[in-house]
Amino acid sequence: MSVIAHVDHGKSTLTDSLVAAAGIIAQETAGDVRMTDTRADEAERGITIKSTGISLYYEMTDASLKSFTGARDGNEYLINLIDSPGHVDFSSEVTAALRITDGALVVVDCIEGVCVQTETVLRQSLGERIRPVLTVNKMDRCFLELKVDGEEAYQNFQRVIENANVIMATHEDPLLGDVQVYPEKGTVAFSAGLHGWAFTLTNFAKMYASKFGVSESKMMERLWGENFFDSATRKWTTKTGSPTCKRGFVQFCYEPIKIMINTCMNDQKDKLWPMLEKLGIQMKPDEKELMGKPLMKRVMQAWLPASTALLEMMIFHLPSPYTAQRYRVENLYEGPLDDKYAAAIRNCDPDGPLMLYVSKMIPASDKGRFFAFGRVFSGTVSTGMKVRIMGPNYVPGEKKDLYVKSVQRTVIWMGKKQETVEDVPCGNTVAMVGLDQFITKNGTLTNEKEVDAHPLRAMKFSVSPVVRVAVKCKLASDLPKLVEGLKRLAKSDPMVLCTMEESGEHIVAGAGELHIEICVKDLQDFMGGADIIVSDPVVSLRETVFERSCRTVMSKSPNKHNRLYMEARPMEDGLAEAIDEGRIGPSDDPKIRSKILAEEFGWDKDLAKKIWAFGPDTTGPNMVVDMCKGVQYLNEIKDSVVAGFQWASKEGPLAEENMRGVCYEVCDVVLHADAIHRGCGQMISTARRAIYASQLTAKPRLLEPVYMVEIQAPEGALGGIYSVLNQKRGHVFEEMQRPGTPLYNIKAYLPVVESFGFSGQLRAATSGQAFPQCVFDHWDMMSSDPLETGSQAATLVADIRKRKGLKLQMTPLSDYEDKLGNLLCVIMRNAATGGNLLCVIATG
Amino acid sequence: MADTTYGSCCIDEVGALHIDSECVVHYGQTCLSPTSVLPAFFVFGKASINVSSCVKHLIDYASKSDKPIMILYGLEYAHVIPQIREELGLSKTDSQLSVANVLCSFISPSKDPRESMEHPRPYSESDSSDSLSSSRSYRLGGLTWDLPEGSKIEDYLLFWIGSDSSAFANVVLTFNGCDIVRYDAEEDSLVTEFYQQRRILKRRYYLVEKAKDANIIGILVGTLGVAGYLHMIHHMQALISAAGKKSYILAMGRPNPAKLANFPECDVFIYISCAQTALLDSKEFMSPVITPFEANLAFSRGSEWTGAYLMHFQDVINSVKSESEAHIGSEEPRFSFFQGGYVEDHKTNDQAKNGEEDTGETMTLVQAAEKALQLRGNDHNSLTKQTAAKSGPEYFLNRVYRGLEINSENTLPEPYIVGRSGKASGYKHE
Repeated sequence: MSVIAHVDHGKSTLTDSLVAAAGIIAQETAGDVRMTDTRADEAERGITIKSTGISLYYEMTDASLKSFTGARDGNEYLINLIDSPGHVDFSSEVTAALRITDGALVVVDCIEGVCVQTETVLRQSLGERIRPVLTVNKMDRCFLELKVDGEEAYQNFQRVIENANVIMATHEDPLLGDVQVYPEKGTVAFSAGLHGWAFTLTNFAKMYASKFGVSESKMMERLWGENFFDSATRKWTTKTGSPTCKRGFVQFCYEPIKIMINTCMNDQKDKLWPMLEKLGIQMKPDEKELMGKPLMKRVMQAWLPASTALLEMMIFHLPSPYTAQRYRVENLYEGPLDDKYAAAIRNCDPDGPLMLYVSKMIPASDKGRFFAFGRVFSGTVSTGMKVRIMGPNYVPGEKKDLYVKSVQRTVIWMGKKQETVEDVPCGNTVAMVGLDQFITKNGTLTNEKEVDAHPLRAMKFSVSPVVRVAVKCKLASDLPKLVEGLKRLAKSDPMVLCTMEESGEHIVAGAGELHIEICVKDLQDFMGGADIIVSDPVVSLRETVFERSCRTVMSKSPNKHNRLYMEARPMEDGLAEAIDEGRIGPSDDPKIRSKILAEEFGWDKDLAKKIWAFGPDTTGPNMVVDMCKGVQYLNEIKDSVVAGFQWASKEGPLAEENMRGVCYEVCDVVLHADAIHRGCGQMISTARRAIYASQLTAKPRLLEPVYMVEIQAPEGALGGIYSVLNQKRGHVFEEMQRPGTPLYNIKAYLPVVESFGFSGQLRAATSGQAFPQCVFDHWDMMSSDPLETGSQAATLVADIRKRKGLKLQMTPLSDYEDKLGNLLCVIMRNAATGGNLLCVIATG
Repeated sequence: MADTTYGSCCIDEVGALHIDSECVVHYGQTCLSPTSVLPAFFVFGKASINVSSCVKHLIDYASKSDKPIMILYGLEYAHVIPQIREELGLSKTDSQLSVANVLCSFISPSKDPRESMEHPRPYSESDSSDSLSSSRSYRLGGLTWDLPEGSKIEDYLLFWIGSDSSAFANVVLTFNGCDIVRYDAEEDSLVTEFYQQRRILKRRYYLVEKAKDANIIGILVGTLGVAGYLHMIHHMQALISAAGKKSYILAMGRPNPAKLANFPECDVFIYISCAQTALLDSKEFMSPVITPFEANLAFSRGSEWTGAYLMHFQDVINSVKSESEAHIGSEEPRFSFFQGGYVEDHKTNDQAKNGEEDTGETMTLVQAAEKALQLRGNDHNSLTKQTAAKSGPEYFLNRVYRGLEINSENTLPEPYIVGRSGKASGYKHE
């Protein structure tokens, strides 16, 4: 299972309690150690950066399992737990964690409630068919900090749970069943990770069931929802009739805890000991000496230990691999669902063929090596075993991206330490040594002989790398070290992109400023002492058009015998996004494609069949469409035009950025009658020029990436937030007070380029009360005209051109467009004499 | 007579052989590349220069720098070098200032391409009798110079007399670790900023990385005269096939974008030519054009670029010799910066294939034919491109257009129509 939540809602702290229960760290230090934050910078910043796996073994007592209805064999449980980061910049780590788990513990701060990242990860987990359970965390804040009364607290919790359920309800999945969480069913826990205590309604129901002479399940229902207990009549009602009526939850759960905490905090030990005795809690003599908070912590830990409540919830309500893989196989396996590999995954068969998904690479302590961390879905992986590694580009039947290597060692991950084991059967997470040279980020492993196995489906990330920095080494001779460092960096992070610019600069691209900062730090470490220079972060832009070309443009081939007439127009709203999502793409069935285009985007049905290509890279959000009527040989130049289009859409005419959302129409074509004169040598560059010309006549514009920012802050900080946002060209589109709290929730759009230093400024302007979460949201058109000298967009274009080492002046339209009937000056350089011969040819 | 098809710096041996000539006199700009068949005599030409001003600039600059200075020059200024030496009052023992010599003004072909390099005939005017045998000699763009033992070229400040020509660009690229100053004789000024030239180096690095991902490589024959060009072509072929890639040899004279675009299946071109015409880079080329040295970096596994740059065939081949012996290919697949992950070169594939079947060449045809005969559904409208082709035939299979379609149903002759008339730049009806 994985632990997922918004940043700072207490995942790692809560995880500590579970780790403590398995005896790995002492109960007393639980909550402070943050066992799963293994890196120095994680401890320093107090945030989790990498997801960390830890395998925990528990023995449950018979008594606690007596009401467990599922199939079980013995009392021993092994839980493979993965703690994930909450900061949105690292959400690729969450994706990697979710893929290899079956259940998720969703942690929500009881005051802050469901935040943007909670929502994102929850959606992600349901998309992966991972069953969630919820814990309302930081209960201690209710009692100590805010001191809210029972009814108000109940309303709070109710709202938090409802908000989570609203998100889950949108993911109806017949195979997964009802995924919503209900306190009365035991799928919601209430916890205080910092103090190491937690409860579910089951705990209290057990205590009270015998007292009221009802069954536990009946009692649980009474402890939540519109059930009230009248202490005067000692009767349950469903209405708040008399003043002595109190909600079941408040009367029997909230109040007792409140009393207990207050007694401890006020050091009323004379009252405390009898209470503890009544509850049957034993305290050690030295613990009795404690005062105030430490005393409260110990008492609560002894009374309502977090591990028991959470473990019980997980064991009772989260599926075992055996159960989960039955329905997850469809999501996981790329191949046919009736082959033996699918069957082995479905049945979680330890004797079946090995199917193992490596979801991430973990740097090992010896420099340069990595553990391949993943999950065994079927079969058993053992030390010394020969495995087939299928990389992300593997195509079944081909030999591309395929290696056969042996596993040197299999290891179980235990947070900060590892334990070597002989073999690991299916259903478990595992780390392997000796495969790191063949896996970049992820991959599928099978047995050596299973040549017809298909790979497991690749992960889809919810964030995209929009922020980039250029890195170079201080000394030119360190270049091999830099290359090696980048290679390792690419491995160690599921999402970072290490690429290269046309100018020869190495680029590191990540989700946000923080992500880049961590990546650069890692890169420095990987390079072992060699210094690097990091450029200021830049964002990549896109080029697009604002309206249809003002005229049909024409370009002639180098030999002047062929002419291409083209127009550019912006794509319909939402079409580029649909292509991004893969709803429309090159590999679709043309019928389905034309249906979507006709119904959603108002395309002509026939036209939809005339799409020649998508680009760049054959899948990008631009198209070239054939609008010609009755042109001879058109078929013959299609390949050339498509090649020119792929090239041009990758490097637009403004600043050689990718194009986006442009539809190019080939309006007419005049071709030479001889095939030799209309070959690709003549047509590719002509198509490119015509595309550029058509774009330049269609009011070209730049698109910039925009973040959606969510900020939570008290009312007093709002002024500061607004002023910083205004400064940064951001605009708020939603402001809402969180019901029952003094906190406001603000959603705003902020250009990514303005986001550098944003969180620092925001903290300064609000004296640390506001913390933003930025997620890439959409591309936004910049209104200024890049062709108008001195405009904002023109300066931006000039900057980019300078950075890329291009000519500062854009190539003018006249270089791309040819005109009929003009004087043509052809300067022919005679190489032999070195002299210039000027010929003026009058045409038309 | 200069080579009109390739570059005016080279000797047109083929042209000269047409008239059964026995010797070529080459006027003007030259790269002094060794010839393969004919002896050649060079006339460098005499560009005008203000010697005293040049010397003044040089002395001013030398006084500011504590590094020893090496004076290099464009060959058109070779005629004033003795004068400059004189004005500088250069003595042979002065280690602060040294002047490069012109290699020779006469080249006779030799059978072994390496021989001409090992025994360079010094320019008649220069005094080379005292050159130390232990010193390291450099040769670039027709110049040669020796460095005393124990000193590196990086310790020197290079002073270039001449215009911003391709010879100078070669100097900047080759000695990218040195400080370089250029004295422009026409402008009579010093140029110290070579941002643009330095940029070229990074750009070349990018092209090398890009070439690593290539599957099909076109070898462009860029010279028919420079000694060792055939050897180089064979070497490149061997290198490419050893890397499990496919190569085609193309002879097209001086390449231009339209010519190269006729071979869209080639992912990268290697331009085999003399050093001064070797650097071809333009945004107009669809696929990058690289030099043999860069091809060496790109296609021999495990070789890393450390900043050194070589232009001459001999240097390249020698460097490969020493390298290939030292390096035994590691098992690790290659990391591609363009695909962001590991990429397996098709080496293992091809080796396996060659073991089972006889030769790759004939089998590709057979396989292609097999594929061509496959029943292909109505997928003509499909927009998916298959994975990158590994050979020419494979590339053509993925094309939409496969020749004229013969419509067998309609047997009647089409009625004739009147075609266009006039010139392509504007037909009569327009």
